[in-house]
Amino acid sequence: MPFLNKRFIKKVKRQVPWVEHIINNERTAGDLNVDSSAINVQTHEGSLCLVCRGSRMLCGKPRCPAILKLYSLLKTEKNVNSERMIGSSPPGVFIGHIGHPHVYAGPLVPPVLGDTSVYDAPEQWLGKTVDEIIGFRTNLIRAKFRVNVTKPFKNQNFVEKTLEITMAREPVETRVVFKKRPSGSLLLDGEVQPMGPSAVMRNMEIETAKFDAKIERAYGDGDLRAEEAVMELFKGGVPVSKIQRAFSVGAFGLKNQRRIVPTRWSITAVDSAISRELIDEQVKGKPLINEYRVYEFNYLGNRFLVLLTPSSWRYEWIEAWYPGTVWNPQSQNIAMGADWEGYHGRTTYASIGGCYYAVRLAAAEFLASIGRQAGVIAMREIYPSFIVPLGVWINRESIREAFKNEPCKFSSLKDALDHVRTRFAVSLDNWIQTSALLKDSLYQERLTKYLEK
Amino acid sequence: MKYRHKKNGELDLFKIRMSDAKLLRDAVTAISTLIDEGTFVIGPDGIKLRAMDPSRVAMVDFAMQKTTFDEYASDQETKICLNLGELLKLLKRAGKDEAVELYLDEGTGQFVITIRGKYIRTFRMPTLEASEEEQGLPKITFNAKVTLTTDGLRQSLEDVALVSDHVRIETDGEKLAMNAKGDIMGANIELKKGSDALLSVEATEPSKSTFPLSYLSEIVKAAVATSDIVTLEFSNDMPIRLDFKQTYDGTLVYYLAPRIEVE
Repeated sequence: MPFLNKRFIKKVKRQVPWVEHIINNERTAGDLNVDSSAINVQTHEGSLCLVCRGSRMLCGKPRCPAILKLYSLLKTEKNVNSERMIGSSPPGVFIGHIGHPHVYAGPLVPPVLGDTSVYDAPEQWLGKTVDEIIGFRTNLIRAKFRVNVTKPFKNQNFVEKTLEITMAREPVETRVVFKKRPSGSLLLDGEVQPMGPSAVMRNMEIETAKFDAKIERAYGDGDLRAEEAVMELFKGGVPVSKIQRAFSVGAFGLKNQRRIVPTRWSITAVDSAISRELIDEQVKGKPLINEYRVYEFNYLGNRFLVLLTPSSWRYEWIEAWYPGTVWNPQSQNIAMGADWEGYHGRTTYASIGGCYYAVRLAAAEFLASIGRQAGVIAMREIYPSFIVPLGVWINRESIREAFKNEPCKFSSLKDALDHVRTRFAVSLDNWIQTSALLKDSLYQERLTKYLEK
Repeated sequence: MKYRHKKNGELDLFKIRMSDAKLLRDAVTAISTLIDEGTFVIGPDGIKLRAMDPSRVAMVDFAMQKTTFDEYASDQETKICLNLGELLKLLKRAGKDEAVELYLDEGTGQFVITIRGKYIRTFRMPTLEASEEEQGLPKITFNAKVTLTTDGLRQSLEDVALVSDHVRIETDGEKLAMNAKGDIMGANIELKKGSDALLSVEATEPSKSTFPLSYLSEIVKAAVATSDIVTLEFSNDMPIRLDFKQTYDGTLVYYLAPRIEVE
């Protein structure tokens, strides 16, 4: 390796001892030839990554998620090497939740000019490779400012400009001056979503944006409640990710009740509000489907199956994490998690997380579109080839896609479950054990059987 | 969901007055644990409602005789379908010792609730399309009959809910047993003859049946405010009948379908 700079290796060695193993690779070495102070590597105590160092595949995944993220981050780093940056925001924003109600908020800007709309539009991501998706994420540089979510007016300049970006119809040319050069943070952990570098802003300028008329109208209406605004936009065909983005910057709601909402909460809030409304208004009370149906979709090492049963509305989301490798002591068993709701919905937050609500949206949307009612049991089996978590959108969009395919139809629950059995690696007994609704369908009797004729 | 705005010629006016709104409020609370919308039949003898929950696992059979009311005038049967959640919101506005009056505004098709206390409040709510079908009752031969305090039943169910989501109710004519088996934990509750909570127990043959706690606990929780004593009737792997004795002249009965376990 003739061009390898010795001094540089030492530097890396001191900071992140594990990197020396991958530096044998010429490409990596070339990539690493940046000021490495820009990337801050962290890890958990006792992390497998420290033992593995990206070479032994201890987590059981076919590719090292940390290295994948590192490459992507390094590529971005090379494009932002000063305190000034210009790029087209897709449009995108990110509101952190740490320190709530004092959070970091601000636009997401890639170091690229032009049509960047796909960078923050999960609706268009289905079918892309994991490298591309990580690329979208890490390419978005998070320009941030501190703000109190309940007092956005205290930081009016930044908040207003960020708001303008979220309401734009097309990517917005954005110039940002940072307090110091953006730095990425690489957490050595296969379970954390990839993120781009971030830095606190000193100044921000945006071109005059063309607004999305529907969002602008909802923004201008100070008497429209936030949920109503969200629903109106959804019915008007505005993509969920756009609604969620404007929602997070406090674009909707009664005039004096608007506030900034952290991104991860706003995604769930929007998914939950839309699906709840669809279920109450367009699913409940509709005729039941006539048969058992199984829809399927496979993507990036995930198998999604949706079982629809001819019963009143009820919903369950089950995830099964396949063991990475048999010799990995941490995951010898399949990890399964589930949450469900009956006809009346649930009053507590689903412990399994935001994916529950994202999938509920996809299911409610489908049932509303066919004007029928059904019980929904959505199942996801995750294989080792699913390298890095990518966010709840993958569940929403995959289930939406599943519903576009022709279902397998069955006249009995037994036949439907026999089909499910053949599609999954996890045994049917495990699914039934985990699923409250499957158990209910199999074991719970109905009063109709006993009614006097 | 269609709102009935026009005057329906067949409907006859009724007017009902109750000096303590709490009775009515508790009854509606108990009903609304199973259903969102309910069709009340207001007849010459009193008010009735019978309905199954949307999953058809449970049924509520409710009646309040006219003697419960301070004023009751209804010449013929009138069916009124109401959103129970909305109705409850309005009834909750009535405080202690405040009287409530109910009637149907035939002109607008609206249900009118007047609360008379320190001042007079009048609420109007839309009526929904009433179901024409008369709900039949389950036909079951019960082999066991157990009477116990509602509070005793509620506490027992709270205990078993800690370990499982269903409970097996069992009697041999001497005692009432409630067993729950979770994945890793179990619970056993025995109420013997002579215990404070158990008032009477009889069985023509030993009987046991398993029920979902998601329903059973909710039913008992909702009914506990209306009743001190409950009678359970059941048989082997058959629905259970829960009769909550009311303090007024009326009935509050639930039916719940069993869970058939494959061992």
